[in-house]
Amino acid sequence: MSLTDGGAEPEVTVRDERTQEFVAEWRNASYNCYSSGHKFCREVCPVMQVTRNESWTPTAFHANVVAMERGELDVADIAADYVNCTQCGACELRCPNTLFTGDFYRFRTRTVDVVKAVRALAVEKDIHQPKWQSWNERTDERTHEPVLGDIDISQERVRDWAADLNIPIGGESILFVDCEAAYYRTSVPRAVAQILQAAGYEFGLMAEQWCCGGPAAEMGYVDQARRFAEHNLADWRSVGAKRVLVLDPHDYISFTEDYPKYFGADFDIEVVLVVELIADLIRDGVLTPTVPIERTITYHDPCRLNKRKGIWKEPREILRAIPGLTFRDVDRVTQWSYCSGGGGGLPIEKPELTAAISAGRIAKAADLAVDTLVSACPWSERPLSEAGAAQNIDVIDIHELLAESLGITVGGSRS
Amino acid sequence: MTLTAERVDTVVHALRRVLRDDQILTSKTDRYNRARVPAPFPVHRWAERLPDLAVLPESTEDVAAVVRIANELLVPVVPRDGGTGLTDGAVPLRGGIVVDVKRMNAIHEIDPVNRTCTVGTGISMLKLNEQLAKHGLIYPDDPASYPCSLVGGRIGTSGWSLIGARYGHTRDLVLSFDHVLPTGEVMHVGDGVGQKITKSSSGYQLKHLFMGHQGTLGIATRATLKLFPKPEAELSPFWAFDNYDDAYACVGDLARAGVATFAGAVLFDEHKVAYLRRDDEAYIPQPSDVRALVCAVMYGYEDEVRPAGKRLLRIAQSHGARYLGDEISEGDWAARHDRYATPLHGRTGNGQVVPMSWHCEDAAINYTHLPAVTREWHDIVAGLRRQSDVFDDWGMFAYTSSDNGTDWLTEIDVGIWEQQLDDRAWALWVQAKRDLAAVSLKYHGSISACHGSCREGEVDLVPDELGRGFQVMLDLKRALDPRNIMNPGKYHLDRAYS
Amino acid sequence: MSYRYDEQHTPPEPTRVTDVAITTFEDLYEVDPRLMQEWVTQQEFPNWDSLRIMNSRHDHLEWMHEHFAHKVIHGSELLPADPDPNPSGEVSL
Ligand SMILES: Cc1cc2nc3c(=O)[nH]c(=O)nc-3n(C[C@H](O)[C@H](O)[C@H](O)COP(=O)(O)OP(=O)(O)OC[C@H]3O[C@@H](n4cnc5c(N)ncnc54)[C@H](O)[C@@H]3O)c2cc1C
Repeated sequence: MSLTDGGAEPEVTVRDERTQEFVAEWRNASYNCYSSGHKFCREVCPVMQVTRNESWTPTAFHANVVAMERGELDVADIAADYVNCTQCGACELRCPNTLFTGDFYRFRTRTVDVVKAVRALAVEKDIHQPKWQSWNERTDERTHEPVLGDIDISQERVRDWAADLNIPIGGESILFVDCEAAYYRTSVPRAVAQILQAAGYEFGLMAEQWCCGGPAAEMGYVDQARRFAEHNLADWRSVGAKRVLVLDPHDYISFTEDYPKYFGADFDIEVVLVVELIADLIRDGVLTPTVPIERTITYHDPCRLNKRKGIWKEPREILRAIPGLTFRDVDRVTQWSYCSGGGGGLPIEKPELTAAISAGRIAKAADLAVDTLVSACPWSERPLSEAGAAQNIDVIDIHELLAESLGITVGGSRS
Repeated sequence: MTLTAERVDTVVHALRRVLRDDQILTSKTDRYNRARVPAPFPVHRWAERLPDLAVLPESTEDVAAVVRIANELLVPVVPRDGGTGLTDGAVPLRGGIVVDVKRMNAIHEIDPVNRTCTVGTGISMLKLNEQLAKHGLIYPDDPASYPCSLVGGRIGTSGWSLIGARYGHTRDLVLSFDHVLPTGEVMHVGDGVGQKITKSSSGYQLKHLFMGHQGTLGIATRATLKLFPKPEAELSPFWAFDNYDDAYACVGDLARAGVATFAGAVLFDEHKVAYLRRDDEAYIPQPSDVRALVCAVMYGYEDEVRPAGKRLLRIAQSHGARYLGDEISEGDWAARHDRYATPLHGRTGNGQVVPMSWHCEDAAINYTHLPAVTREWHDIVAGLRRQSDVFDDWGMFAYTSSDNGTDWLTEIDVGIWEQQLDDRAWALWVQAKRDLAAVSLKYHGSISACHGSCREGEVDLVPDELGRGFQVMLDLKRALDPRNIMNPGKYHLDRAYS
Repeated sequence: MSYRYDEQHTPPEPTRVTDVAITTFEDLYEVDPRLMQEWVTQQEFPNWDSLRIMNSRHDHLEWMHEHFAHKVIHGSELLPADPDPNPSGEVSL
């Protein structure tokens, strides 16, 4: 007997239609992990490294979906476990099903998507994580994430960081500034804007920038995420934008992965990562850092650049162009297991895990006897700075560092 | 799940006296995700394998306290580490408490002068070696699960290492360890006094007894390991052959050559080559007359490896081998530490891609019997495939176990399409496992060289393999675990109590 | 390298290598898509992702070599004298 000719599918006992739809969509992706069960992802997972709890591993996140397909678990049983993921992408890259054969089959491990989908299903079924729920409600009210806690975030203030920089509204190239950088670590967008100005690169700001919607999508609030995306795309179009310049790796993911999913081929905006643009400008001799910076540094590969996009060369090129630095580099593959813990909504629901992950990352920097950890991701810089303070390690953004070496007085706040 | 809710409460209550709340896990997902190891696992019977709860101890004392409670309350205990074992050792058969030791992953000591380190058994070899590299040292236990199996599981299975021909296998590399007996007493076991001793003749040789027992004799918590200088140089030539016989002759000569830096050799048969051609960029473009492959691996100082390599390359030449080039040789070897079977290599009879789980049947076979075992094993799997698309033959390997070519880890990789697995297909599989094991015994081999042999099917032949030794196993089990709480149901050890 | 939707969703013309495999980008092999129509269908795969995976694989393998030994000796340097070198880069013994 051959099961492919005429054999019946095993009986599926899933309870409701929506769950059935969900498992139908994710069954092969989940089964592809379940059926290997190798767990090569385990030691690169940042949450696993600090909790060593197998219930919160990429393997478990897929296995649960298989159990749902069999009617043995329900989204209510599993939702809370899915908080424990920073969506750093280490597991899905390290998985042999991606690393060795993902490109061959055009079918790879998608833990991040599975985690997002389970979170979305939970929200749809009214199962909320309390802090995420409130975070997204407040984001919805303010059109920006409440990064400063309960105060001081509003549409009117989204361009405050640029008050004295004479940046026009609109134009072909628009600089998009994520919520954390726009309100909290304002030194980052200030550095970026002034570097681009120094290079003579023309750009403007949005008429009315909203949060990119990525965090809502990450936490499962998909309708809200989509609404925000629609607003931003409309705004870009209304100001004549052809190109969006992105300084935050999280936004880069939203614009190159979420937005294309929402808008398909209609998404005609070019997305440019500022780190790559600046590396080009240095390579072409448009920018030449000359002010020596006497620091001993190491570089933190932001997960969303290194693991999720394979972007690791350009930041190193920039750092190598800055005079005076002693650069103790750690290779990109070793850094697949590094993370700040700042992504995927983890710091909102489980700040203690974020802190532990950041402490681990800082400890690795401390082993290298550096005084500075350079990152390229504003969302990592807050938890890393907090952990760094305890070890006397300064956490600085690559754009801030470059601006300084270009003789720019950056201004803004780092905390 | 075997305990009533009330009993679970009693157990949890008792555990709370010795563990923090966050070390005691009782939710459904906590239990579902500690019921399985890699496939194949009869997914349609998942619910039968659930533990009642899991604990995450952080010290030997924690483990001992949990085991004492379990022994007192007569609750099964299942040790679990990486959960990568391929004989279902860490799968609970009677519910109870899974003791998940992954939190015990500290490096307690590195002693570069005496060349040892002492670690918690929840550590991974890869993570350990990242630290040891700073001292120019390596712990060379290198299974194909190198990045994911953990030291405790290596002890529990008495594992096999890819480069064991050079450095020894887990049993040679683990010098001694703290071990919690089924009664909750703590013992230090090794050669003689069992600290940093590699060879002692004092007393019984207990270390071997407490390795490879699949968690049926207790839980190792902290281990002292043997270290080597991190090798200066690696060489891993791969060769192609247009027929199995020449490849077989060649691999035998390589293994018997007695080259000191020789760390291992592998023979890939025709089915394995065909399987590699399904996806592997190295083998897809190979001409169709490539029907077998051989590789050899050497580690050591460059001035040792170069002449040794020349010798092995000469031997290969004398067998008509074709060197596959540096890129394939180096790339393929680097992928052996952590690549095994990819689910999407599963194919239906009409060639469509389906996700299959990987099952690896292994045995220890003498060189002279490799061709016969290879033939008979393929016949068994071909029989399965004829009966159902659930099964797919993914080819065979033979790897050196020793440094002189005596016995070979022989494995057949079988894909199983679990999405379509039902009781009938499962029964076919279990019978096939018995048949595979019977072939190994017929040729005077052992049912397993590396994973253990306590999975359904093969386990039925263990008493035949061990003969009078199996009775000794039962006597020891009863003596050490009088209440049968330690991983009950494995290896037919229940017979000790009937 | 900037992102443009249409560029990312237009892979190079495939070339057939065997009856079950094709190539798209240089050195990037893919399964013949006809094999993935019944039970598992292919995912949407922008070009950057295929290239990221291929490059990461090479990075990973290089990392594994360095993890196990300080240097890799190339077999080609040790080959016995070879009367008839194979022009494809592989070497006949
Ligand atoms: C891709 C892949 C490749 C593999 N290649 C190899 C290989 O080359 N060589 C090889 O030997 N194996 C190989 N295996 C099998 C597996 O990795 C080994 O059996 C390994 O030793 C299991 O370790 P673990 O930490 O995952 O243990 P687990 O699966 O958690 O446990 C294995 C057994 O040990 C017991 N146990 C766990 N912890 C302890 C402890 N602390 N004290 C006492 N007993 C304990 C368990 O109860 C169980 O019976 C491979 C597996 C995979 C998935």
